[in-house]
Amino acid sequence: MPILPTTNSKTSRGGYTPLLVVFLLSCFLLTSTPPVRAQNTENFLVQGKNALSTGDIETAATLLRKVPHPGVHGDDGSFAQSRMLLARMFFSVKDFAQATAVCQEILQFYPDNQEAKNFLTSISRESSPVYIQFFQDTIKFLPALAKGTVMTLFLVLLTIIISPILGLLIALGRIGSFRPVQSLCWFVIWIFRGTPLLLQLFFIYYALPTFGITLQPITAAIMGLSLNYSAYLAEIIRGGIQSIDYGQTEAAKALGMTYAQSMRRIIIPQTYKRLMPPIGNEFIALIKDTALVSTIAMVELMRSADLLFNTYFNITVLILAALIYLAMTSVFTLTFEKIETIVGAYENR
Amino acid sequence: MKTDKTTPLIQLSGITKRFGKLTAVDNVSLDIKRGEKLVIIGPSGSGKSTLLRAINFLEKIDKGEIRFEGTRVGYVIKKGRMTLDKPSRICALRSEIGMVFQHFYLFPHMTVLGNVMEGPLTVQKKAPEEARDIALAMLDKVGIVDKKDVFPATLSGGQKQRVAIARAIAMRPKLMLFDEPTSALDPELVGEVFETIRSLAKEGMTMVVVTHQMGFAREIADRVIFMEQGTFIAQGTPQEFFSKHMNNERIKNFLDKIL
Repeated sequence: MPILPTTNSKTSRGGYTPLLVVFLLSCFLLTSTPPVRAQNTENFLVQGKNALSTGDIETAATLLRKVPHPGVHGDDGSFAQSRMLLARMFFSVKDFAQATAVCQEILQFYPDNQEAKNFLTSISRESSPVYIQFFQDTIKFLPALAKGTVMTLFLVLLTIIISPILGLLIALGRIGSFRPVQSLCWFVIWIFRGTPLLLQLFFIYYALPTFGITLQPITAAIMGLSLNYSAYLAEIIRGGIQSIDYGQTEAAKALGMTYAQSMRRIIIPQTYKRLMPPIGNEFIALIKDTALVSTIAMVELMRSADLLFNTYFNITVLILAALIYLAMTSVFTLTFEKIETIVGAYENR
Repeated sequence: MKTDKTTPLIQLSGITKRFGKLTAVDNVSLDIKRGEKLVIIGPSGSGKSTLLRAINFLEKIDKGEIRFEGTRVGYVIKKGRMTLDKPSRICALRSEIGMVFQHFYLFPHMTVLGNVMEGPLTVQKKAPEEARDIALAMLDKVGIVDKKDVFPATLSGGQKQRVAIARAIAMRPKLMLFDEPTSALDPELVGEVFETIRSLAKEGMTMVVVTHQMGFAREIADRVIFMEQGTFIAQGTPQEFFSKHMNNERIKNFLDKIL
């Protein structure tokens, strides 16, 4: 840096040819290199960056502020750069007023600067109260989560329809006196109650294709959930049926009822009230267990939340997902309490 | 088929029922004539209830023969062993025999009317209106028609037992079995149930009653049987029974205990 001025001073004094050549050369060099002022502003930017990297925020701020407006000399982008750096710096120390002012300074000269605009919205977001932030995030994330929720509800409803029917059949098979059916039902319960649901889902989705059975993720998910829950419900229903006083069966028999008639008309209707609390429990567990099907390429609530969280690292996503699960389980809890009082009304009236 | 009036309604011959090593009913034979009122008494564990339950196949017997209106029923011999006949046949037989239990066993999830309608509706496949008419008539007969729309849980023991009787007779059975119908009742409620049974008896219903109520036994019975350790110790008309057999040491002991 000190070389050029020195050369300059020499040429101004001397009058002979070699010096003239040097002078002309210098003039050429001077015109082809950035202007001296510009070089200085560059220095402020570099120095400011250096100061920032050492953590000396005040020096950095002073230096960066020295980078002049683009109107002062040619536009090399250093102004916008320095002010963005300043804005981020203020933002990081939560001085939102200063950060906003700096951003607006950029927009004064570059009204279309997208970076500054985006940053201003980030600042306003960050500086607004938590509940407004949460509200804004909710509006942003809810549509995607809602889609996932619809899928979760669909899985839950289908399983709730299939598993009690299948569970009742397995329970009746287990109670009945036909040995092969008894053994088969025992086996199904043994398998599906004795292994993790996650493993069952993997098996149905990833292992069955080996045996030539390829299923859509949704089919595999419904199969896995239904079979697993049927096994649990079968045991609950069996317990319910066997808890009914044997006298009821005898009274039905004494009237001349067949086994099927006594089950359908007398025994099973009496189990409803007793079955509601444990079945309600199972269905609440089911709502949460649907999260497991996210592992077999199903995009339901948990998977939607997972995807959003991995994109935005915003915990609002997780809070929202939790609230949606809670809402679903609460509805089930209340519904089952209501059903319990309705089907058990005969005991109180 | 011999179904003339002289054929006993039910003929039991050589009935034996074992529970493991215990022989509950030991080679018992019994004919019950149409319209007969038979009362079986005896200490608990003597096999009275088991014998009663064998009549409508609630208890599967190990040996013996049951004839209903002269026809051998209920069992077939399979591989040298006695097995219950086809379920449909057993059900058909049971629908001809009404039974009233000590603990009522009303269906708690149905109203009183629903309980009484259930047999005609489900077993006899009657139309709902017809079943309803029958049920109301039966409830009227046992004097509890005003309770037709309540659930059994709200009834007293005596009312429950009357509903249970109505439920049984709604099937228009040829034989009624009463298994200690008043044993689970408070003493002041016994009367109303006996009143109901008495009126049934007057209509000519054939019945077998197991009871500990000697006064009632003496009043309605055509024949009293004393049973102990699975066999009949003594039987006869009430007059015979409560005079002649009072000398029998075991009967005397038993009667002393319960009277």
